[in-house]
This record gives sequence, structure tokens and C-alpha cells, in this order.
Amino acid sequence: MTDEPSFEAAQKELEEIVHRLESGEAPLDEALRLWQRGEELYRLCRNRLDAAEGRIEELASRAEAAKP
Amino acid sequence: MKVEAIDYGDRRVYSVGAFNRGVASWLSRLPTVWVEGEVTELRRQARWASVFFTLKDPADGACLGVSMPRGQFDGLRLDLADGDRVHVYGRPELFEARGEFRLRALSLERFGLGERLKQKLAAEGLFAAERKRQLPFLPRRIGLITGNDAAAKRDVLTTITSRFPPADVLVGETYVQGPRAAGAVIETLRALSREPGVDVIVVARGGGSFEDLLPFSDERLVRAIAACPLPVVTAVGHEQDTPLCDLAADARASTPSMAARLVVPDLADLLQRLDRARAGLERGTRRTVERERRQLERTHERLDRAPRLLLERGRARLEHAGGRLRALSPHATLERGYSIVRSEGAIVRSGTAVARGEEVDVELAEGGFGARVEETR
Repeated sequence: MTDEPSFEAAQKELEEIVHRLESGEAPLDEALRLWQRGEELYRLCRNRLDAAEGRIEELASRAEAAKP
Repeated sequence: MKVEAIDYGDRRVYSVGAFNRGVASWLSRLPTVWVEGEVTELRRQARWASVFFTLKDPADGACLGVSMPRGQFDGLRLDLADGDRVHVYGRPELFEARGEFRLRALSLERFGLGERLKQKLAAEGLFAAERKRQLPFLPRRIGLITGNDAAAKRDVLTTITSRFPPADVLVGETYVQGPRAAGAVIETLRALSREPGVDVIVVARGGGSFEDLLPFSDERLVRAIAACPLPVVTAVGHEQDTPLCDLAADARASTPSMAARLVVPDLADLLQRLDRARAGLERGTRRTVERERRQLERTHERLDRAPRLLLERGRARLEHAGGRLRALSPHATLERGYSIVRSEGAIVRSGTAVARGEEVDVELAEGGFGARVEETR
């Protein structure tokens, strides 16, 4: 899959990983792999939120500038 | 006028013609008056100089013949039908050739809204609620039909421009009173509805007498409003007047300025609402991002804790297993003072398993030694 998952999909996968790790069901090898994937997903979600916030600031300042 | 009589002794006798002339002459001295009644038996033919109808008193059925010069009658364009109530202005007259008495009409006005017409148009569905069209929220152009120099015009224009300064109003001035009003308003309505950009039409006319407002109950005008391709707002007369055009219009306003309020939004109010909506939008979006961020951070903390937790748990499990392993080891038993005796590598569990003089090996908690069997039991 070349497409990055949506924010919601990434968040959902991240939560599933955390849940699986916390339940202690995962074998150690898999647990390490899951953790790595979880960190990846976290970074992805963070970037999305940062981008959204940046966009809000941009739109807000543009709207402010457009005021008569 | 001198009417000649023939004397037969002491009896004075008049010819029919003379008698009629005399009565006619006497009648002609009566004043001109208004008479109200319902039109029946309307008779009009192109070759006749006059139009004839019978005026009937709806209360007691009393009848009165009426005649009116045809050209004058046609000029009024009243489109009268049986049952219409009218006011006739005229004076009594005798048709001498036949000795028939009637009212010679000089003027004629429709009276009352014409319940019959109202019922007829209602039955056709002209006033039906589902026919009413939605007024445009922001008309590109507004057609305004009013009398010239009318207060109604000023009211509409002032209200429109104060509410929505950039509004574009196209004014169609016309007659709003008298026999020509209905036709003139219809013409203006058609002309304005063909103008490019016009999205809604306002028909405004201030208050007036009942007769003044009659053109706005004219069947042709009512039909024209219903058939107009654009939504029409009417503001005719005062609150208590309900000319039929109001019923056919898409919206009815009690006053001209109310009509203006219906066709344009209040710009200041609109901008304020828009501003509030935008602020709410921004607040809402920020809140969403914040909520998602907090949620993400919580999940991340759990993720971070998870491997360490897992390791600790693994380690604890390992310790536990080690403990049990050690508890089960024979070494612990030897520690308590027991020893293991082996004969040729096999553990000796019974005295009968060895013979006197046989060599055995003894294992202790620490170290061991060789021994020889002295005695068996």
C-alpha cells in the first residue's frame, strides 16, 4: 500500500496495537515489531494534527485580513 | 315642457306619446344618484348603441332596468358577469317609444370583491398554498410596480436600500387607480418579468377607498399575477384590505415597507451572523484538533509504557519459573541432609537392591564418597 492511512485509520490501528501490547498476548518478537509500528503511527497522526493546526492558523489570519 | 291634451267635455285626454313625453319630462327633473345592486341579464351587442342589464336588489329581489352607452361601458373594461355587485351612477329615464322606465347609467363601478369571482378562482386553484413560490434570498434585481410619486414607492425604496444598500431596483411606474389601472399593472408586470436579472416583483399601492383598490381584485390582474414566471409580492392597501391579487401573490405584505423586508435580507444582520458562524467554525475546528491531540498523546504514553511493561512482566514470569525450578531440584532435598546412593549408576531405593560387600556411591549436598555394604536389611 503506497497510500498513507487516514488519520482515523492510523489512530484506530495505533489503539489496537496499544491494546494488544497491554493485554500481554503478543510474543516478544512481535511486541517489539508492534511497538515500532505504533511509534510510526503516532508520528503520522502527530504530523496530521500539526498540519491541521497550521491550516487553521493560516485560514484564520486570512479571514482576519479579509475583514472590511 | 307643455303637453297637449284633448278636451272631451270636462275630460282631459292625453295621447300615449304625449303622456310618455310628460312623464319623461317629469322624470328628467329627478337628481342623478348612485344605485347599488347585482347585475343580471346583461345584454350587449356590437350593433346596439347601448348596453342593457337588470339591476337586482339581493335583499328583496326588486329589479330595475339599466342602460348605458356601449362605448362608455366598453371603456370601463369591467368584464361584468351575472351576480357581480355594482354601483350605478345615473338618473331615471323613460324609454318613450315603449313606456318603459329604466335607469340611464352615466358611470358604473364594481362593488365588493366579487365573492363569486373569488370562489371561481379558488376553485381553479389559483390561491392554493402549493402554488406559492419561495422568494429568492438575495434577488439580483427587484421589479417594483407602483404609482408614480406614490408614498408606497418611497416606502419600498427606502426600506430596501436601508436593509440592503447594494440592492438593484427596477421601478415600473403605472396607474394604480381607476379603470385603466388593472390593464396598466398587468402590462408593467409582464414588462418587468422580461427584464434581465429580475428575480422578484413587488406590487405596492398605499391605502385608498374600497373603489380605489378595486383594480387589484380585477380577474385579469389576479390571473396575470398567478401566471407571472417570477415570484410576486403584493402590498396593496392597508392590513384590513384583502384584494384578490393578494391571494394569488406568492407573498402578501401588510404594508409596502413590509414587502421590502420580504424581498431583501438585512445586510448588517447577515454580516453579523456570518461573522458569528465563522468564529464558531474556527472554535469548533480548533477544539476538534485539540481533542484529537490529547487523545493521541494519551495513546502514545500507553504505547511507550507497553514494551517496558511487557519486559517486566516477562522477567517476573521468568523469576517465578526459576523459583519453581529451583524448588523442584533434588539439590534442595540434599541440602536438607538427604543423600543419594547409587550402585553402578542406578539409584538404590531398597536394601534388597544391594548385596553385602558391594561397592556403592553416595552423593551429598556437597560432594560425596564411595562406600562398601556391610549389612542389608
